[in-house]
Amino acid sequence: MAEFVSIMALAHAPGVTGWIESCPVDHQQKIKAGYEELARVMRAAKPDIIIGVANDHLLNLPLKNPPHWRVDCAGDWNGPAEFFKAWLKQPGYHVKGRPDVAETVAREMAKAGFKIDRGEGLLFDDNWSVPLWYLGYDVPILPIHMNCINPPVPQPEECIAFGRELRRIVRDVLPAGLRVALMGTGGLSHEPGGPRYFTMDAKFDRWFLELMEESNPDRVVREASVERMNEAGGGGTTELLAWMIAMAAAGGTHGKTVFYVASEEMRCGIGATVWPSFA
Amino acid sequence: MANEFNPDLPSNRMVFEVRRDNSVWPHFKERLEELMTQYGLSDAEKDAFRAIDVRRLGEMGVHPYFLPQVTRLFHGSARNTTKSAAALAYRHSFGDQIVEHQDEDGTGRG
Repeated sequence: MAEFVSIMALAHAPGVTGWIESCPVDHQQKIKAGYEELARVMRAAKPDIIIGVANDHLLNLPLKNPPHWRVDCAGDWNGPAEFFKAWLKQPGYHVKGRPDVAETVAREMAKAGFKIDRGEGLLFDDNWSVPLWYLGYDVPILPIHMNCINPPVPQPEECIAFGRELRRIVRDVLPAGLRVALMGTGGLSHEPGGPRYFTMDAKFDRWFLELMEESNPDRVVREASVERMNEAGGGGTTELLAWMIAMAAAGGTHGKTVFYVASEEMRCGIGATVWPSFA
Repeated sequence: MANEFNPDLPSNRMVFEVRRDNSVWPHFKERLEELMTQYGLSDAEKDAFRAIDVRRLGEMGVHPYFLPQVTRLFHGSARNTTKSAAALAYRHSFGDQIVEHQDEDGTGRG
């Protein structure tokens, strides 16, 4: 059977690569150090593939009746999409896929009853481009796009079930010896499109990071509802659903907060959790 | 959410597709009237786009996530700081609804 070698959840706010120099110096240093620590953890794990789960940002999934999940079984991608290059201040990158792994994950998820479809030529924005800026482009990825912001979105219960199923697929179905990393990306609190666009809810973010440290799925379902996330920042904070997938995939071990910055200039709470061990 | 998202609203289809088309989005501002006609926007939608009134677009059913992107289609995306032209257009449109940032100790940075 395959094995997890790294599981993490991290913010992907566009300003992290796009305009971080506008932050106060102490914030710049803390954010960069946080992402560099994540890169160190990922490098040390020596994964053969990074499975990512992130918000689609209404870029690929249909506006009407979107699936909850979409897998692209392509062999490679170029990112970010042109519209986002100046925003992210990125010249562009190339990253490979693992169509064999993607096909297996898509097939097994569909068999398990998840509303997942396949789409070729997924466009990437900040969802993968910000994490990969730090994590690098040398490891193949499996990008799973999810619908976090076009109601009805998958509820926390479904995300935790998705994470558990991903864990089963990795451990029971994927080929022996395959070293798998998992990253859920998004959040923390932010409100693109609302009156709180220029601020975030740091109190909520610190509470959520503590939830991830505890990693009690029952409590997460009970307390970190979609409604609660939207109260902390509508239209953006529900990206934390991707973190719940990472938490569930770790199998019940505690998470560790890597860093957190409530950044006015990023217009988002920026932070990360890693699960140092897996049950 | 700031509104009830209407996936059938022509404005949503326009923004969704324009961002994906590299032959269109760089010329969005210059081609606005043509695009609004092409996608069949209502007069109210057209007026809101002409005024870059994203708050009004949101009230009409444009997805909130698209609203900052609309300001970037007009003003460009580079260096999208809180003082950028795109961000200031957003702030101008939302007016006194804007909730100002407070640092964690409860103080504003101003």
